[in-house]
Amino acid sequence: MTEGRTSLRLKVLALLVVAMFAALSTRLWYLQVLAAERFRREAQNNSVRLMELPAPRGRILDRNGTELVDNRLSLVVTVNRQELGDDPEGVLLRLSELLGVKVRVLADRLEDPRYYSYQPVPIAEDVPKRAWYEIAEHPEAFPGVEVVPTPVRRYPYGTLAAHVLGHIGPIDEEQLAEPRFAGYDRNDVVGRSGVEAVYERYLQGREGIVKVLVNAAGEPIRRLGERRPVEGADLVLSIDLGIQRLAEESLATGMQRARGVLDTETGRYLRAGAGALVVVDPHTGRIQALASSPSFNPRIFQGGLTTEEAERLEAPRAHQPLFDRATQGAYPPGSTFKPFVALAAMRHGIAAPGGYYPCPPTYTVPGDASGTVFRNWTSANLGTISLAEALTRSCDTVFYAFGYDFWQLLPPAVQGLQRPASPDEEVLQRELRRFGFGSRPRIDLPSAGGGLVPGGGWKFHTFQDDWQRIDPFNRCIAYWCPGDYVNMAIGQGYTLVTPLQLAMAYSAIANGGRLCQPRVALRVQRPTGPDSADVVRTFRPRCPRIRGYTPEQFAFMRRALATVPVSGTAAFAFRGFPFDRVSVAGKTGTAEVPPHQDYSWFAAMVPAEDPEYVIVALVEEGGHGSTTAAPIVRNVIEGLYGLPRSGFVPGGVTD
Amino acid sequence: MDLVAGRSIAGERRPIRHLDPVLLLVALLLSLVGLVMVYSATHQSLVALDLDPYTFVKRQALALALGMAGVAVVATLDYRLAKVYAGLVYAGLALLLVLVQTPLGVTTAGAQRWFELGGFQLTPSEFMKVGLIVMLAAMLSEVRREELGLEDVVRATAVAALPMLLVFVQPDVGTTIVLAAILVGVLVVAGARLRHLGLLALSALVLLFAAFRLGAVKEYQLARITAYLDPHDAPAAALYNREQAEIAIGSGGLTGRGFLRGTQTNLDFVPEQHTDFIFTVVGEEFGFVGSVAVLGLFALLMWRAVRVAFLSKDLFGTYVAAGIASMLAVQMFVNVGMVVGIMPITGIPLPFVSYGGSSLLANLLAVGLLLNIHMRRFT
Repeated sequence: MTEGRTSLRLKVLALLVVAMFAALSTRLWYLQVLAAERFRREAQNNSVRLMELPAPRGRILDRNGTELVDNRLSLVVTVNRQELGDDPEGVLLRLSELLGVKVRVLADRLEDPRYYSYQPVPIAEDVPKRAWYEIAEHPEAFPGVEVVPTPVRRYPYGTLAAHVLGHIGPIDEEQLAEPRFAGYDRNDVVGRSGVEAVYERYLQGREGIVKVLVNAAGEPIRRLGERRPVEGADLVLSIDLGIQRLAEESLATGMQRARGVLDTETGRYLRAGAGALVVVDPHTGRIQALASSPSFNPRIFQGGLTTEEAERLEAPRAHQPLFDRATQGAYPPGSTFKPFVALAAMRHGIAAPGGYYPCPPTYTVPGDASGTVFRNWTSANLGTISLAEALTRSCDTVFYAFGYDFWQLLPPAVQGLQRPASPDEEVLQRELRRFGFGSRPRIDLPSAGGGLVPGGGWKFHTFQDDWQRIDPFNRCIAYWCPGDYVNMAIGQGYTLVTPLQLAMAYSAIANGGRLCQPRVALRVQRPTGPDSADVVRTFRPRCPRIRGYTPEQFAFMRRALATVPVSGTAAFAFRGFPFDRVSVAGKTGTAEVPPHQDYSWFAAMVPAEDPEYVIVALVEEGGHGSTTAAPIVRNVIEGLYGLPRSGFVPGGVTD
Repeated sequence: MDLVAGRSIAGERRPIRHLDPVLLLVALLLSLVGLVMVYSATHQSLVALDLDPYTFVKRQALALALGMAGVAVVATLDYRLAKVYAGLVYAGLALLLVLVQTPLGVTTAGAQRWFELGGFQLTPSEFMKVGLIVMLAAMLSEVRREELGLEDVVRATAVAALPMLLVFVQPDVGTTIVLAAILVGVLVVAGARLRHLGLLALSALVLLFAAFRLGAVKEYQLARITAYLDPHDAPAAALYNREQAEIAIGSGGLTGRGFLRGTQTNLDFVPEQHTDFIFTVVGEEFGFVGSVAVLGLFALLMWRAVRVAFLSKDLFGTYVAAGIASMLAVQMFVNVGMVVGIMPITGIPLPFVSYGGSSLLANLLAVGLLLNIHMRRFT
């Protein structure tokens, strides 16, 4: 046995050992019992990764099933900032050399606030396959860098129908806050204009999620669960690729030709920098072509607009290519307005189909002390002419008189400039609104404009301050005066319409009095095979009847307008046109938009008897209606019916 | 009658009758726990490499079998023989520690620690622990005074300093610490004065400081120690070991996540898991209950070792047993302490449990010595 002293020392040693066990057990109690929950979560975070499986966006097809927008795979380089390692500068430098992008640019993209620090940030798109191999083969040189094949939009026809198709882009903060974007992520891509935006909920698929168990090196070990991605549905448009192409080419070529035409008023060549063209089926309101020039390639928005591209788009010479002039551009309608003024006049007994009206070179409002003179577009005296002839020859003075007649329908207090008229009291405006003017067409495109049908209330509201400031004695600054109606009757003054509105109003004349809701989408479908699809939703035409007019009145109008290209203001532009094969009813318009050159309009219905197409063309600073717009529409008609091309004959100086 | 009595006396004289079965059983149990944990820590990676998932387990089992044979041999020979050959063993092991520094030794991760012998690794420093215990015990048990004099302490320290230095330059801070603990343990039991021990501690501190200043400590060792002292300002790699170990242990909870079901363990999140961090497998897969059970086995082992020290017939036995108890206690404490985050990270295997043949073999030889001393407490 060990003696006393040694025994005591052994006991000290034993006590020390006991203390060790106490310390370890206490610590274990803390880790495994008190803090266990937290560590369990951390172990979970360590080992479970959620990987997103992208769901391709639905395609956009023309009415014959041709792909206008589809998807392709783009190689996207992503960088995980947390895995960059000890030498992030070195990694970026190597990436910069490999991708040919400046280090500073890469570093900027890496700072994208839309991504959380643990999320990989895309820093380069559409990189060559060579870069992919390089990165895959040298993971040690590119820690945290990955190349991910990502579906992106492909636009096989480039700028074609860009304003209808629209573009996609990263979702923004405001959208994220909207209820319809519930469930979207900060780095999701959404439709931002055109049908991409309007039909977002059909086109957007639902991304799949794979839950993967990973080891410490981040290598997937096995799948824990999966939610399969759901592809977006395809959108079929009423747009016809052939017609759209015809429309865009006609518009572009017509504008090009116009730039070689001397404008007699300014003594300069016409600028013709921008224009729009609408082709619509008047019986259904389905848009077959919607062109706005200049256009853009939606591809440039993919992955965010670069500074250079943004600058190019915003340059004054670029004429705002993103702006859709067909649905958003509001212009004075000029003489294209006259048929609707004539219809209103017929309805309210101001004019009659068989009536005859004087067409002098000038017009002065009866009893107007100032003696303001309103001139016809021609200084010739055309004598007394029928209503049809007044339209055919676009006689302004006949319509000036109609305008004054509408003035006389106003209550005495309004005529006495005691008070502005209420909207109900303004007969002409009321009738114009029935044709869709002054309100936003319910087209399935974002931000369509409503134009303006001005009235006494609007004028007073808009100008009362000016009136007080400029000349309190001149009540006509703020009140609706006879001159306003005189101007309105020929589509001038404050009146504004969009090319789309005009097309829908002419469609009402064409279809016998129905104002159709314009649509670019035919249906939503899911492909089930190469040539079959399940229809998810069909968009039916909606064409409510305009009350108060008879089919005869519209038939009269079509007949009257059918003489315009034959012997009227568009005769020069349509000379040599085979009217025996296709009859054309149309109306020229020349909108005065000081200080600009005149804006050129032409609206057509073909064939005139029972129109299949309504075509409206507008060219900003394109001169007279017959100079630029009418030849463009003629070229479209020739293309639609396979007629020999006449090649843009500018038609003289007629309205 | 005589015959019967004679037989009974003869039986009384056979030491095997005084075997400590608890000690043997606990050591065996801990080794078996080790096999299970090593399997859990390694099978997934081995499968991923298209290797036999039992590769490590088999090698460890072989070491265990060899170790048990060693126990039998060591227990059979009288432990007092060890006293005779202590100097020889000590000198031989010291020579091996020198040789391991030559190209004969194998270098891994910047450390030169073992010999490659027919596919097996021989780590002389593991055996040196036992060798030093025997050497110190042999030396100090010859001191016939109530308390040790300064010269005894200095001599003992010199004997310990040689292997400590050889191990330190490998570098292997962990084993150096264990050797120091052995020295202190044996000195305390052998009756060193408190002030001598204080002097020893002081000179150790001075030496340590000098070692740091002279850059004899490798950078990663420094990093691990600073990571322990100030986790907010430490290299990521050093922190990573700690964090992953703590997550593994903590996520085990009260009862563990089940055998082979720990994600930290099976997905390689804990580095060096089958060796120094083996306790994280226990913690994650068997929870607090399992961890405390393993600690309980160690407590039993210590108790039996200290008991042997008490029961020993001579001072040599007492010192050997005390040295072994110190060695096992310090290794256990530093290892588990490091794993649970109350001690700095130093590479010390957990006795019996960690993968490593030399370590297991050396520890089993130590158990053999304990059994031997216990068996021969009457003769």
